[in-house]
Amino acid sequence: MTNIGKSAIILGIITFISAFLLSHVMRITYPEIVRQEKEKEKRALALVLPGYKIGEKKKMNINGKETPYWIGEKEQGKDGKKEKVRGIAFITASPGYGEDIKSMVGLDRNGTILGISILEQLETPGLGARCIEVASKLTFFGFIFGEKADEEENQTPWFQEQFRGLSITKKIKILKKGDWNPGMRKELLKENAISAITGATITSRAVVKSLNRGIVVLEKIKNTPEAKEDNK
Amino acid sequence: MSNFQEFTKGLWKKNPILVLALGLCPTLAVTTSISNALWMTLAATFVLVCSNIFVSLVKNFVPSHIRIPIFITIIASFVTIVELTLKGFQPEVYKSLGIFIPLIVVNCIILGRAEEFASKNGVAASILDGLGMGLGFGVALFILAFFRESLGANKLFGLMLIPGMEPSSAMILAPGAFITISMMLWVMNVINSRKG
Repeated sequence: MTNIGKSAIILGIITFISAFLLSHVMRITYPEIVRQEKEKEKRALALVLPGYKIGEKKKMNINGKETPYWIGEKEQGKDGKKEKVRGIAFITASPGYGEDIKSMVGLDRNGTILGISILEQLETPGLGARCIEVASKLTFFGFIFGEKADEEENQTPWFQEQFRGLSITKKIKILKKGDWNPGMRKELLKENAISAITGATITSRAVVKSLNRGIVVLEKIKNTPEAKEDNK
Repeated sequence: MSNFQEFTKGLWKKNPILVLALGLCPTLAVTTSISNALWMTLAATFVLVCSNIFVSLVKNFVPSHIRIPIFITIIASFVTIVELTLKGFQPEVYKSLGIFIPLIVVNCIILGRAEEFASKNGVAASILDGLGMGLGFGVALFILAFFRESLGANKLFGLMLIPGMEPSSAMILAPGAFITISMMLWVMNVINSRKG
């Protein structure tokens, strides 16, 4: 009996010390974790609603899923008559090859995509994970011999870049044309299509599927009081 | 064994991956890129050294029948410290290593060293053992990741190797990991048999 008691006390002491230590580590790191997440959101918002003044984060229940969204404002038009334009950004997700691919989408009132940014993905490296790959001309050997990355190079991943300008009110098609380059934009816009990542059609399809959900979200957000104001 | 040997045995004679064949699950999973492999090594070595120190310190107070839960508590505490720190300060790394950071808790290398070495030896020797094992783990991971990233993704350290070359995606998937590690074992056994 005493043996059990002794063991229990020792185990208790050790778990107590460890819990005490961990609570302190948690206290130090927690604000940093929260800050990182806010920072990430801010960067994504600047990407999907470029040039817009972004309002506060709001949440809405859509089809049983809590959907965070933002409404952005921008002044547009020539000097004489300026008008306020609104844009909507929201977070959407769809299961990919790994876990859910979570992305933020920016739309204007007509359902045209202003930009998308993939926030979370656990796709296969080298295949699906290329959805966040930045097309860089810098090679490993170039780096060793002292070449520098081109500062002017577009830092938006090419897979995400090709969504800009597509409309979610129509079905977004997936074509297999290989890696996207700016020369393909015109042709793909006409078809309302994207070019899939080679060897990762599931990933490409998941992103498109999550965007197609956007039409419901857009309609719902449009009907909220704060978005309605500019209907006057 | 001298202290120096305690350190070097992890590199070749008792390499945790290639000789003891422990912790293969995270090894095969995270070696898709060199940066993943290096961060995994850093995280696992930190946990290994710290848990070795504490296991060695408490070894005289711990009744043998509850030693396993106590070792696991110690290991899990350090893993949580690593997890929270990475999440707060290196969110990209945390994201790409994903589930394999919390899974260090059940990494057999760490529990194996606690049970086999740290619970029988002094603190100094346990630190050296932990560092050596961590280094051996790291070297094996680095070699695996080098071949998998260069052949499977046409990249090294995230930078493109040969422009325009189509990489073989089998190398980045599970089969590539098994093929590479079997090659490494083969080379190691050939060298060992020549020596002996």
